[in-house]
Amino acid sequence: MFSAFCFMFVAVFVVFILALIIADIFYIDKKAVLTVLTSGYIRHALWMSIWTSTTTALLSLLFAVPIGFILSRSKFPGRIFLDVIIDLPIVFPPLVAGLTLLVFFSQTGAGKWLQQDIGIEFVFQPKGIILCQFLVAASFAIRSARTAFDDVDRKFENVALTLGCTRWSSFRRVSLPLAKNGVIAGGILSWARAFGLFGPLLIFVGSFRGRTEVLSTTIFLEQSVGNLEVALAVALLLIFVAIIALIAIRLAGGSAMPTL
Amino acid sequence: MIRIKQLSFAIGSFQINHLDLQVAPGEYFVLLGPTGSGKSILMQCLCGLEKISSGRIYIKGSDVTNVEPRTRNIGYVPQDYALFPHLSVERNIAFGLQARGCRPGKISQSVADIAEMLGIRNLLKRSIYGLSGGEKQRTALARALVTEPEVLLLDEPVSALDEATRQEICGQLRRIQKQLGLSTIHVSHNLEEVFSLADRAAILNQGSLEQVGPLEELLRKPKNEFVARFMRCENIFQAEVIDSHSDGSGTRVKLGNTQLQIPGRNKGKVAFMIRPEDVLVYGEGEKSNADKNCFQARLTGWRDFGSNVMLELDGPVKLIAHLSHSAFDRIKTSGTTVNVVLPPGNICIIGQ
Repeated sequence: MFSAFCFMFVAVFVVFILALIIADIFYIDKKAVLTVLTSGYIRHALWMSIWTSTTTALLSLLFAVPIGFILSRSKFPGRIFLDVIIDLPIVFPPLVAGLTLLVFFSQTGAGKWLQQDIGIEFVFQPKGIILCQFLVAASFAIRSARTAFDDVDRKFENVALTLGCTRWSSFRRVSLPLAKNGVIAGGILSWARAFGLFGPLLIFVGSFRGRTEVLSTTIFLEQSVGNLEVALAVALLLIFVAIIALIAIRLAGGSAMPTL
Repeated sequence: MIRIKQLSFAIGSFQINHLDLQVAPGEYFVLLGPTGSGKSILMQCLCGLEKISSGRIYIKGSDVTNVEPRTRNIGYVPQDYALFPHLSVERNIAFGLQARGCRPGKISQSVADIAEMLGIRNLLKRSIYGLSGGEKQRTALARALVTEPEVLLLDEPVSALDEATRQEICGQLRRIQKQLGLSTIHVSHNLEEVFSLADRAAILNQGSLEQVGPLEELLRKPKNEFVARFMRCENIFQAEVIDSHSDGSGTRVKLGNTQLQIPGRNKGKVAFMIRPEDVLVYGEGEKSNADKNCFQARLTGWRDFGSNVMLELDGPVKLIAHLSHSAFDRIKTSGTTVNVVLPPGNICIIGQ
């Protein structure tokens, strides 16, 4: 009885989402589908979306694992403050992220030094897509990794130390494998967040056809010039790729499920 | 050999202060104490998992106080075993050898040997999930022993097991410990484990060792009331000395409305105890040969513990006695009034 009650909510939610997708499918026509499949710009935007969000997810994991481990295992002054700072991008309105990045790189000495003197340009550049996505998505991976390490009982690490492991090998052979599912779930969350990101990208890197355009900005560009069918067809492409990617990541990561 | 010299440790409001302890080569030492007394913390200090604030720790004569856990060469089995859930039984056992960079051939051989010794060879390919408590315990022991440690530290290794498995594992632990000649510290709060395993034992209370010694000494000559009560002696009394024999053969004390003879020369107030199994109880009609410390008491209750029967007696003082079933059957038929004898030789002065 209780299971049936729970399944009722599952059914309502899933039916709602599927109804939205089906409505989009019935709205688009053959011409819009052909445009999406044959347009070089859209192919480029698709490729940009996939590789930038994948790079962002990997970069987020690179930061998430050590930061999550330190936050989980170490006690130091100012840890709460650090925790809050790391969580901040989760609650940032996405537009604020884009604006903040733009101001930093175009108005501050440090930003100008990086762009002009060192030569690492982000504003209106493809590299900026990854930076923007990283700022918005990395916190999800860090939060998830931290929770995963919190769930790993320290007694496992302690036993590993007495069995001859260094701190590093105990982390590599015990803590990380035991936290694997949570870490992968964080990667999935950050990938999904990066893949669908739109507002901050438009502000920080713009939407230059064939250069900084990703699928989400393509949708915006197409609907802003009145091509609603093409915009929806691109949206369906984005949803399709996201479904394939999420299924693949989950199959590869075992039972990893986002916990946030 | 393990030697702890003036070890101090603090965490929050809990402290271990200047603790000294020595475990001889090949000795099976049981560390007893109630929950929260610091037994597990002390084990972790010995392993190097907790940093001590002062003192020294020696293993086989070497000072390991500032040595990393991995090079202390300790076999450690923590509470709940902490078997790695992502590894099979075989890989759990092999873990320490792999961490030490042993050759694959040596690892396979050592794992097979230790699994054979502990009777778990059939489990090697199994996952940790689904193992019984006894199988987990043996796997954890195999993992600790396969690295050929110099000392073995077992933190409540059998506390989660049923009685039959516990007895079986305790027998196996003792046999293997003797076979390998390992100095072993076994943490427990269970007296039955001490009786079946220990060469010597210590009682830890709030971070301090109350008493260290052979079991007989802890049972018969407790240094204080805490030790006496922990060793399950419920007959503890405070009495006023009436007079002492000048030859030191005994002291007369007043307890309730009766007088008792207790051993040794004492004065003022004296605390003494008699173990429940040393209290002699006879039926009302039965005669004892004793001429001292005899009185009548009322049988107010009894509980059958399977191996013996615990009697609650109310006489000049309240007493607990443990009797065999046959002795109890004799008394039961003679009514609720019984004759009690507290043999002076079985009375122990607490703190002497």
